[in-house]
Order: sequence, then C-alpha cells, then structure tokens
Amino acid sequence: MKIVAAKKILKANDQLAAENRARLDADGVFGVNVVGSPGAGKTTLLEALFAQLKGCLKPAVIEGDIAGSIDAQRIERIGVPVVQINTEGACHLDANMIASAIKELDLAAIDVLVIENVGNLVCTAGYDLGERLRIVVLSTSEGDDKAHKYPAIFQSAHAMLITKTDLLPHTDFNVERIAADYKRLAPEGEVFQVSAVRGDGVAEAADWLADKCREKKS
Amino acid sequence: MHELSIVEALIDQVKETLVQEGEKGRVLKLELSIGRLSGVNCDSVRFAFGLLSPGTVAEGAEVEIQQPKAACNCRACNVLTEIDDLVIQCPRCASGDISIEGGRELLLQSIDVEE
Repeated sequence: MKIVAAKKILKANDQLAAENRARLDADGVFGVNVVGSPGAGKTTLLEALFAQLKGCLKPAVIEGDIAGSIDAQRIERIGVPVVQINTEGACHLDANMIASAIKELDLAAIDVLVIENVGNLVCTAGYDLGERLRIVVLSTSEGDDKAHKYPAIFQSAHAMLITKTDLLPHTDFNVERIAADYKRLAPEGEVFQVSAVRGDGVAEAADWLADKCREKKS
Repeated sequence: MHELSIVEALIDQVKETLVQEGEKGRVLKLELSIGRLSGVNCDSVRFAFGLLSPGTVAEGAEVEIQQPKAACNCRACNVLTEIDDLVIQCPRCASGDISIEGGRELLLQSIDVEE
C-alpha cells in the first residue's frame, strides 16, 4: 500500500522557525541570521556594529559553534547578553536549537537578536531559524568567486557585508565583480564594505540595520 | 554532515505519517523528491539513511529519489533553459535579467507499506 505524503522533509524545522518568528515578533524583537565562512570576521563585525549602535539598539546574541565559547566570551565582554549553542559536530544551527536558546534570553529587554551561525557557506542556507533578515559576511581574503561557488547562500541573503576591506591592497579581490554576481542572485540585496578594525563602513552598515529594525517595528 | 540531519528529519516524518495513517506494516520503499538546486547530495542521503535507519520504522526500506530539474527564465531573450546548477546569467544570451524556477524541492513524496 502506498501512502502519499508529499511533505517537506524539513517541515518540522520550518514550523519551529515560524514559531520562533512569532515569538520574536510578539516581543518586538528583530531576528538577524549572520552566515559566512569560518574566519570571515563575523564576531569582529558584530563587536564593531554593537559599539556603533550603543544607545540606539539593544542587542542580544546567540552564538553557534561546533565547540567552545570563545566568541560568546567576546560578546559578553562588550556587555551584550549572549547564549552559546554548541552543535557538537553539526555544521549549521536549526530552528529547534534557536527555540531553546531564546528561552534563556529576556526578550522584553532587547530590540534585535543576532544569531551568529556556524561558519559554513553550504548547510546554513537550508535552515530557516525564524529570522527576519539574513546577512552573508564575506572577507576580502576569501576571494571574489564565492557567489559563483556557493550561490544558494548568497541568493537567500538580504545583504552582503564585505569585511576586511583594509586588506584590499594586498589581495586581488574585485569588489565590483562580487557585487555584480551577488546582485544577479539577489537583485534586492544590499552591499556594504566594512573594515571593522579600521572602522570604515561600520556606520553605514549599522544605520541600515537600525533602519530595518525600525521598519519592522513600525 | 548536513544530509545526516536531513535524514533524521526524514525518518521522523515517516514515523509521524505512519502514526497518522494508523499503519503498522513494514516500510518497503520511500519516494523522495530532491531538487537539483536543493544543495542536498543524493548519495550522501542514501549513505546517511543506511547509518540512521536501523532500529527505526524505516529500517530496510528502499530509497527512491527523483531529482526535479530547475529552469532559468530569461527576460532578455525570453527563453526557458533547463539547468542542473544555479546560474547567475542566462546560459543562452548571458543576460543577468533572469529568474530561477524550481529545483529546490526537498520532499517525502510517498511511503510504500507492506500489506
């Protein structure tokens, strides 16, 4: 006997993601999923953005890593509430992990919840976490061919933040090339160029994030 | 690695569906639909299924996978081209004014149960 199921295999994840989104919306919290390779500079970027947004937005962070809590310690040091998730081998966060982590946070006290995903340009693309905004972080040292090689994650991102622009003179990274590739995949997407260590471009990216956050609230 | 968690979710779906349908028979076959742009590797799914299914309701089931194709719809030359990989320009005229259709399916289509 054949049972016709026609169900999404990741239906359980999608349902949990929808619940996470509703949970965050209920408290007026804007969810942001930050994806990128290991070493792209995601945590350094967050430190710079939060410093810029001080007094304007109250953030909290969920850190996803295979092991350890080095990133969470860095976020804690700058006075931002943080929950560490250790995936113990899994290459991405899923909506169930986020549902548990959200319970550890005081949502009434924050405006924006930034989820720093496990460093990975492949698997993270398939899992909705319940975010309202997805940002892909790409550093100049990784090369400008990444949108070609990992199109799914770039296509799903609302913005691409190019980090480590201070290294541009030492690489053959072509900003125009990657920006054009990204725009073809995500015509509505925004492109920002940031050097978190020098501070270049941080204000522009932070302003955009704050605007997105306000748009959602109003 | 990614396929392991997908197969875990798949086996949960099978369990849930059997309970809903009140079926207790042995599962003979699962039909899956994995789009070519889903980023999921079919060989890895079969491998993960071999690792994860023993001891579950899906143990011993045959896994049949269909791989729906995707298409690139070009607004410049007005041609729909079948594609196997995600493209950022029309394979025919190289225009960037395109939309990608289909190929992202990740579905459990049906379950064959022994009578």
